[in-house]
Amino acid sequence: MKDKLTPKNIIFALLICFLPLLMFAIDDLVALLSQSGIYLGWPGGEYMLRIIVRAGVYMMLAVGLNIVCGFTGLLDLGYVCFYLIGGYTAGILMARLGVSYWVALPLAVLHGTAWGLLRGAPTLRLTGDYFAIVTFGFAELFFRIVRNEQWLVGAPNGQLRGIPSPTLFGITFNQNWHNYYHILILLTLVVFITYRLQHSRVGRAWVAIREDEQAAESMGINVSRYKSLAFAVSAAIGGLSGAFIAQFQVNISAPFFEFWESILILCMVVLGGMGSIRGAMIGAAILGSLGEILRPGLIIPYQFGNPRYLIFGIILILLMRFRPSGLSLKKHNTNTA
Amino acid sequence: MRNWLTGLLIIGLVSIFGCEQQKELKVAVAAPYTGGAAAFGEMIRRGAELKQKEINEAGGINGMKLTLLFEDDAGKGSEASLVAERIASNPQIVAVVGHFNSSCSLAGQEIYDRAGIVELSPGSTAVNVCEGSPWTFRNLYRDDFQGKFIAQYIDNVLTDLESVAVFFDNDDYGRGLRNAFVAEAERIGLNLVASEAYERDSTNFKAQLTSIKAKNPDAIFISGLFQEAGLIVKQGREAGITAQFFGADGVDSPDFLTIAESAAEGVYLTTPFTFGAAGAEAKQMAANFEAFHGVAPDTWAALTYDAVGMIAEALEKTYNPEATIADNRTAIREHLASLDTPEEGYEGVTGLTYFDINGDTVDKPAYVKIVKDGQFVAAEKQLSELK
Amino acid sequence: MAQLLEQFINGLVLGGIYALIAVGYTMVYGIIQLINFAHGEIFMFGAYLALMLITVFNIPFWVALPASMLLCAMLGMLIDLVAYRPLRDAPRLSALITAIGISLVLQNLARMIWSARPQQFPTETLPAFFVSEVNMQTGEILNAIPLPGGGILPYRDVFILALAVVLMIALNRLIHLTKIGKAMRACAQNRVASNLMGIKTNQVIAITFAIGSALGAVAGIMVGLSENITPTMGYYKGVAAFAAAVLGGIGNITGAMLGGIIIGLAEVLGAGYISGGYRLAIAYIIMIAVIVIRPSGLLGKSTATRA
Repeated sequence: MKDKLTPKNIIFALLICFLPLLMFAIDDLVALLSQSGIYLGWPGGEYMLRIIVRAGVYMMLAVGLNIVCGFTGLLDLGYVCFYLIGGYTAGILMARLGVSYWVALPLAVLHGTAWGLLRGAPTLRLTGDYFAIVTFGFAELFFRIVRNEQWLVGAPNGQLRGIPSPTLFGITFNQNWHNYYHILILLTLVVFITYRLQHSRVGRAWVAIREDEQAAESMGINVSRYKSLAFAVSAAIGGLSGAFIAQFQVNISAPFFEFWESILILCMVVLGGMGSIRGAMIGAAILGSLGEILRPGLIIPYQFGNPRYLIFGIILILLMRFRPSGLSLKKHNTNTA
Repeated sequence: MRNWLTGLLIIGLVSIFGCEQQKELKVAVAAPYTGGAAAFGEMIRRGAELKQKEINEAGGINGMKLTLLFEDDAGKGSEASLVAERIASNPQIVAVVGHFNSSCSLAGQEIYDRAGIVELSPGSTAVNVCEGSPWTFRNLYRDDFQGKFIAQYIDNVLTDLESVAVFFDNDDYGRGLRNAFVAEAERIGLNLVASEAYERDSTNFKAQLTSIKAKNPDAIFISGLFQEAGLIVKQGREAGITAQFFGADGVDSPDFLTIAESAAEGVYLTTPFTFGAAGAEAKQMAANFEAFHGVAPDTWAALTYDAVGMIAEALEKTYNPEATIADNRTAIREHLASLDTPEEGYEGVTGLTYFDINGDTVDKPAYVKIVKDGQFVAAEKQLSELK
Repeated sequence: MAQLLEQFINGLVLGGIYALIAVGYTMVYGIIQLINFAHGEIFMFGAYLALMLITVFNIPFWVALPASMLLCAMLGMLIDLVAYRPLRDAPRLSALITAIGISLVLQNLARMIWSARPQQFPTETLPAFFVSEVNMQTGEILNAIPLPGGGILPYRDVFILALAVVLMIALNRLIHLTKIGKAMRACAQNRVASNLMGIKTNQVIAITFAIGSALGAVAGIMVGLSENITPTMGYYKGVAAFAAAVLGGIGNITGAMLGGIIIGLAEVLGAGYISGGYRLAIAYIIMIAVIVIRPSGLLGKSTATRA
């Protein structure tokens, strides 16, 4: 990340800042054209914004997962469980206990962090495969707890209704463009923190652990402590994303957080190139919106089902075969730090 | 790297801008056309297509063609909220028929509410689907009615069944229905001997069936969907269970019969509609359906057929080509909300539909079907009124 | 008590099926340290291929069973050849992600070929003694052994259990008594050294995939006898079987068999006596508990610090 104030970057930054305006401008343009009888297939600014916000959530999740998978080189197959914990912590606090979003958000993050530490603890002395297995089991377990324990959510299947939108100074942030700036701020914060960590002693320790755990230990790096730190930061970001999605979706249910989501986030990190924050974000932007881009393009007879996941699978296989370091980096990324 | 992204962007833009449309009335039909509930989605699509064909052959709506847009929510809430936004932000779509799954209807509700577009569900039965938004309607009963109905049917009509067990899917549908059934069973003094859960997508029920068998109930109510129910009945008969099986509308699919095979014989189920107990209009619709699609319609096809009919009627009465899309969408809602008495109600093949203040359908009866010789037929004794 | 006996048998039958699948996971892991996510999908393909052979090509069940095994063995080898072999020296994570990709492709391919609708072997195509059903009037049950206390044991379940045991013993003999078995064990210990000793490691790995996939196909067909055949069946059964492999000590074949039986029993007893809503979760709880208490599994090597 050696960004400079080039004209291109300035335009890019402006585009990001005023994206909702652009979307609504296109909306107006399309409406104007339709009056004169020209119809474009523009699917609507609100829809585009929602795709972008959701892609933003995936970007945040991918950055969080990248800490464990990319920096410390451990395979996390159940990242979705922090997303779930964050979502339900914030959701239950807000919808059932009437807590304000600004209080629920940090609590969700703390709750996620706590489980991140707890989940990682048994595998600290073991190899990556065991970590992968434990993470997988945890995600499935949490999914089932939410699904089965009716008293927790108040309805079956984790069906949590009417999560209020956050309010500040009497303004309720419930529009898509509100959520756009909301996720933009959170994402900037997360990327900033992660970037600073990556380029600090902590980040170098993580990469040392990834490259050779025993060598790192013998160089005086407290492997358990740094791994735990990675688990905690990663889980905190997951919890944060969950809290955001809870207020964004208003009504959530257990299937929002099923195992497939973990795999999807993992694919994003891999697609962009493990160990690279920018890569994780690009991967998330592509895969997070690919499903919607393919939606109108591929109209397949219903009995064949939706081919999107088939295409995801093929992308993964081809990428691993021909470009294992992902899309974003030109060289192999084992020594990024 | 840059080439990659540019390529993707172009593909994206082409597919987004690709299809150009002409002036016509567009209604979205959102349902699970893929995923585990795809069998329901298929019948919903067919029911909607039949109504569309009939309307357009009769000259359309005030001379305008009715176009249906089939939007797939895959039966998942997260997909449904995107689909909802996609529909809501398309300024050509005037109303939505859907969603099927209650969790999808709920996921879309907030978005439809914000955008001000009617969501008329032909399949969501969870109790709270219509609460909280004036834009949500449905043309079938709620689970609490259904659960109550089954308990009373067992108690009042099949009087020799003394003890019952519930075997329920642990998702919102199965558990919601089970809660209503259990509450009513306790109220009317039905002897509830067991209540066991299973997970959606399970395929092996022998463990729970063995537990249920040990309690020796006279009747077993399966509160879940046809995929699992078919296997439960089959595996139950294999395990030597001779109790009477009951199901609810989630079991009402021809696939139940193909899964359970001969074990399906004699299973009772409730449904919002049955062709066997319906009038001449419904029989005509069934014949047309079979001629058009080559298969017999089911409950969901009929309910969707009516839902599309209701929207078409609303459009016919209220649509103003000069008005803005927001006004037209509002006019449809106002029309549906005005159907609040039996006199005002919409007379479709599934009976008379009219709404209460929430948008729930009032006084639409439940029917009981039984499987006889591998076919669903209306049960001899129906229960006309709840106590 | 009678109920417990019946539940115990239910668990054993399920466990036998899990063991057959778990062996496929554990053999591959033992040799190339790869969690082969696609194995569950091969199990699913086994069921679908047999179904297709029976219903489309009118092949009798007893021919379709080995034919499906053979086809799945070929499918397993093909996957290894096109997807995993080029990544043999790539980072482990690459192979793992490829495995997830293969799993997605196979599952969705099955959906496209055979649709998402649940299917079954038509009753009339199965051997007669597989079909047991209660006589509604008399309460008698066809093709089943009555157990003391009112329980029953269908002949089909006896067959599944017997077949699982026979195949397990055969596999055990193969690993320990034949030359190829010896080569497999050598590869599992040290692939590079085995290669230097003149063992054609790629060939051995291919055969490992073939054996694992063939056993997976058998399990798929056995499951199809009493349950639905769906494109997602591989995921659900595969996960439980994977837990079984971990429980037994991943990489250890006897452990996988033992793990399969334990997971099967735990699942059935848990669903029967605790809550059916946590049925699949029981496998995960056991899996996590094993890792916390004894990470190498019941029969695994004591320290498994392979990175």
